Amino acid sequence: MRSLLKYFIIGVIIIMTGTAAHAQHELQFNLDYNVNIPTGSFRDFVTHPAYKGFTAGLAYPVNDQLSVGLSFGYNDYYQKYPRDVYNDGHGSDISAVLSNSIQQLPLLVTANYALIKEGIVRPYVGAGAGLNFVSFDQYLGEFDDPHSMTRFAMRGEVGILISLSNYSSTALKIGGSYNYSPFNMYGVKNLDTWGLQAGIRIPLH
Amino acid sequence: MSKITWLSGGALLAILSFSSCKKDPLNNLSNDESRIYVTNYDTTANFSSYKTFSIADSVDVIQDNQLLGKELGSFDTAVISTISQLMQQRGYQLVSRETSPDLAFNISKVISTSTGIFSYPDYWDFYGSYYDPYYWGYPGYGYYSPYAVGVYTIQTGGLEIDLLDLKNAATHGNKLTAIWTGLARGEQVFKTANASAEVGALFSQSTYLKN
Repeated sequence: MRSLLKYFIIGVIIIMTGTAAHAQHELQFNLDYNVNIPTGSFRDFVTHPAYKGFTAGLAYPVNDQLSVGLSFGYNDYYQKYPRDVYNDGHGSDISAVLSNSIQQLPLLVTANYALIKEGIVRPYVGAGAGLNFVSFDQYLGEFDDPHSMTRFAMRGEVGILISLSNYSSTALKIGGSYNYSPFNMYGVKNLDTWGLQAGIRIPLH
Repeated sequence: MSKITWLSGGALLAILSFSSCKKDPLNNLSNDESRIYVTNYDTTANFSSYKTFSIADSVDVIQDNQLLGKELGSFDTAVISTISQLMQQRGYQLVSRETSPDLAFNISKVISTSTGIFSYPDYWDFYGSYYDPYYWGYPGYGYYSPYAVGVYTIQTGGLEIDLLDLKNAATHGNKLTAIWTGLARGEQVFKTANASAEVGALFSQSTYLKN
């Protein structure tokens, strides 16, 4: 938990510091709730979706359609498997209830592009790249083996912006994403997920 | 800038709130589910070549690598009784230790009060002081474990069952070699009501242990 708190604070400081120079322009604040579904070899570890996920970020509008910024997120994955016997092939057997617990905290540089300049409903595409702070833990019974590490992360996103005001860029944001994060540890090649998100974008005057 | 500060702080608070809702696996485990059963065996041993076995008449209590004494409470009696029953079901004959059994069971309750690392080789470094080989009719012999159970971080105790090869002690260089070890750890591992199930679990994953 201490390492997670450290990463949160680092992420917020980076967001606040990185955009301080542009405070005099209209920044946009984004806050999304997201659900992420493991895919690929990540499903060998956890198959259950992560329902407790959030992403927050700041974006600077370069023009009417393109904005760039930073985002910071959190996702919690957990799954418990019934008791089974695990053999190491060298004469050792362990009977245990196995529990897998992973938290991912992506810190990404992002870019979003609205496909049309005006309208109440505007489709958009987005991308991001950066770091993924990972807390990875596996329990055999009540005995665990926790690890924390940093990995590369990328995200591709599509969705729609639903404008809530004629006088500002306040909008609801609904979309889907694919999150790519190589891992290559403990038999898990990657921590890729499909994501669904819904949130709000608020301009900062 | 103040608006950015408030919103960023609010976002941090929201994310921290949800991060504190992280699913804690330990809160989702029953006492039975908390326990693990670990067995190791000598893959070169021919378990069907042994005919007789004996069991120590009490259980050693070892805390932080110090022998505190021997016990024979209800839990200890249940463990000894279950081992005896299961071994006889697998075709082995129970005999007294004075009759030179092929196999011998030592049983220990190992307790660690620290959060350090429990290392099986460390336990075996002092094995002779826990179980004097003279007891098994092999004065002057040493003990030898060809493998390590593993490295754990524990805050509770564990039930340790060691199966020794007495039949081939001389050919093993005057060593009482452990050819099978069973280890049960977790919540309520020393509860009498769990003794039979714990020993049973160790034996059920050791199908090679039969005459």
